[in-house]
Amino acid sequence: MGLVMNAQLRQRLLALRGTTRTAPGIGNGFGVLPAVLPLGIAAIDTMLGGGLMRGALHEISAPAETHTAAATGFALGLAALGGATRATRTPSPRRGEGWGEGVLPSPLPAPPHPTSRSLSSGRASRGPAGSVDLSPLGRGEKRSVLWIAEEMARAESGAPHGAGLDAFGLAPERLLTVTVSHRRDLLWGMEEALRCRAVGVVIGEMRPGKIDEIAVRRLSLAAGESGALALLLRAAPAADSSTAATRWIVGAASSAIAHGPGAPRIAAHLVRNRRGPAGSWILEWSDSDERFILATHAQPVAAPAFDRPHRQVA
Amino acid sequence: MLSLWLRRLSTDRIVRLRDSSPSPRVAGRSEERAPLVVTGKRGNVEVLTAVDEAAGRLGLSPGLTLAQARAMHPGIDVVAEDIEADTVLLESIADWFLRYTPLVACDAPDGLLLDISGCSHLYGGERALVADLSGRLEHAGFAYSLAIAGTIGAAWAAAHYGKPANHSGGEERALLAPLPLSALRIPPVTAASLARVGLKRIGDILDLPRAPLTARFGSDVLRQLDRALGHEHEPLTPRLPVAPYVAEQRFAEPIAREDDILAVARRLARRLQFALERRGDGARRIELTLFRTDGMVRRIAAGTSRPLRDPDDIRGLFVERLAALADAFDPGFGFDMARLSVIVAEPCPPQQIGIGGGEDEAELCRLIDRLSARLGARRVQRLTAQDSHIPEAAEAALPAQAVNGDAGWTAFRRYREETALSPRPLRLLTRPEPIEAVAEVPDGPPLRFRWRRALHEVVAAEGPERIEGAWWSEHGGPARDYFRVEDKSGLRFWLFRAGLYRDLVPGSPAPTWFLHGTFA
Repeated sequence: MGLVMNAQLRQRLLALRGTTRTAPGIGNGFGVLPAVLPLGIAAIDTMLGGGLMRGALHEISAPAETHTAAATGFALGLAALGGATRATRTPSPRRGEGWGEGVLPSPLPAPPHPTSRSLSSGRASRGPAGSVDLSPLGRGEKRSVLWIAEEMARAESGAPHGAGLDAFGLAPERLLTVTVSHRRDLLWGMEEALRCRAVGVVIGEMRPGKIDEIAVRRLSLAAGESGALALLLRAAPAADSSTAATRWIVGAASSAIAHGPGAPRIAAHLVRNRRGPAGSWILEWSDSDERFILATHAQPVAAPAFDRPHRQVA
Repeated sequence: MLSLWLRRLSTDRIVRLRDSSPSPRVAGRSEERAPLVVTGKRGNVEVLTAVDEAAGRLGLSPGLTLAQARAMHPGIDVVAEDIEADTVLLESIADWFLRYTPLVACDAPDGLLLDISGCSHLYGGERALVADLSGRLEHAGFAYSLAIAGTIGAAWAAAHYGKPANHSGGEERALLAPLPLSALRIPPVTAASLARVGLKRIGDILDLPRAPLTARFGSDVLRQLDRALGHEHEPLTPRLPVAPYVAEQRFAEPIAREDDILAVARRLARRLQFALERRGDGARRIELTLFRTDGMVRRIAAGTSRPLRDPDDIRGLFVERLAALADAFDPGFGFDMARLSVIVAEPCPPQQIGIGGGEDEAELCRLIDRLSARLGARRVQRLTAQDSHIPEAAEAALPAQAVNGDAGWTAFRRYREETALSPRPLRLLTRPEPIEAVAEVPDGPPLRFRWRRALHEVVAAEGPERIEGAWWSEHGGPARDYFRVEDKSGLRFWLFRAGLYRDLVPGSPAPTWFLHGTFA
């Protein structure tokens, strides 16, 4: 009886996964990560085609150097969502339903995908063997976050503070920090970390300046092979072209409340998106849910003509 | 025991240096060279501390004042002494002779002691070893004398005063008897007072009653005699710690290519693996010693984050180390010997290989080791919670190779729950930066402040959170009032005022403001 229910549940999960997924799970270990990392905000996830693509490089830059903390917050939020959640957390039924990764699946009916059916049936037919990638608490619980930064960037913007990270949903014991003195060491370190199966998210922080296009391409490839999320944190928006899957400019946003600063709030501009249009949102990190929520707009933000994300959320 | 005395270490060093210098003015053949003396200040007088062979033939000797020497031979070449350079040279020669035995001790200022017991057969006997060693020394241009004997004392005495020869154990009496008493390594004062009563050679005191000797000249003389005769054990303090596991290989042809060196490291690691497994140990710190044909020794060490045995992992560490050294790793004409030693070993519990988290854990350790080997262990860090309430001391970033477990964060979370700790910034500046701030009321949050030459208008503030300084310590600093403020553009900062108006002594300046961290 239990076995039958289990099988049914698995079928359902696979079906759910198949609809939102654009590519089969990636990863070279036993644990297979879903191909996308949903932010849990329908408006953004649909634009990104289900969520932030794993196994790809994403660029996050601050509009100016003073806004680095906001950009850091966005990157760390993604890292917290992307698998390095606190080890002690028990998955609530709402969250556990989706990926076993502690994130919400997109509540929207996702756009139909041509390969979804064949994919899900193919996976389901594997029977018990298919259960490896459905372990109740994803491998994400075990994966580390590696934050590699240039020495000067750390001196300028400050070192990561464990107590603050912990509040941001990222357990400090999962974090490895590395400082390098040269940019080539930064790129080398990121690539090494991306090739390591035990690392789920790699954050590379650099000072304003140019970056070698070939190196970025290499990083994208390394991320693609391992399925890890690569985030490049830049102190100023880059003028050069890049092979990054998405490019974000993330700055601080004023909190709406009159008395005292509120929850972490950022203005995120998606300026380049390989799989869809660009857009701007104001996001707030919700401490209780440990995810981003769409903030009530303090200032009007122009939304793309065809999409009204705030209406759908409201 | 082999005692080596480099008779003219200082002058040999200077001559070697000049020979290798490209300038034609100083380079010349030894026959044309003026007698060389090295001088140093002793008390208020400039005296000769070392003389080369030519100067020795002229009758100059260490201890002579420079003025006298100049009066005797105006043409001498005078060089100031450099004790540090001599020590460095002696140490590098000691490293060079690590090829014969791991137990090499410096016998300052100009000697070396090598414990070759159990090692000489590797060279085909003591005679062959001495021949090999002498050949290398002569080739390098050092004047030396050496002797092998059963005890340190006897070998030293024979090297410095006797005829260079091999003396096996048990012959110490015969060897020492004709030598002067100063060969016992006793202070010159004691030797002089012994000479006053007619005791000049070691043979003179060998059979004397012990009690009166001790009563008159102290216990030092007899202890040194006992040590030289082997009645009392004399410890040898090796210059470098002796590794618990060592494997080495010599090459018929010198190797210089990186691939070859790594292949050798792997082969040696494979040999060590068996020894490590037998004793249930794993390596925490490994050193690869490469002996260059010209006597230079390269030591490359690498640390690990967990006890390691796998040859491929060990090879991987040296791949990164060699890459980090890059051009500084100069193989010259090649290396003719390599040695891999495990300097620090730790028990390594046998592990089940298979499905489970252990695999990922091992992968992460491998990554940490690789990054540490390439970038340096201090650059790869983990955050640890410390037992302090002062923000900059509450956390420490420690080398990831040294941190295990949860690093105090479980305790920190409990503390945060209990005390309802107010929000902490995401990034903390390495040291608080002073800012110019204007506050509406003395104890209140600032209205505006200037940080890094930019003016920030505060629109919202939260605080204060008062954090006392370490009042029990002299370096504790004043109490701080922390504020969380937001400026017009939405940037959020963590500021504090160092010192309270309450504690202000009339006449002293107002407390200063600092910026300590930034929030997302």
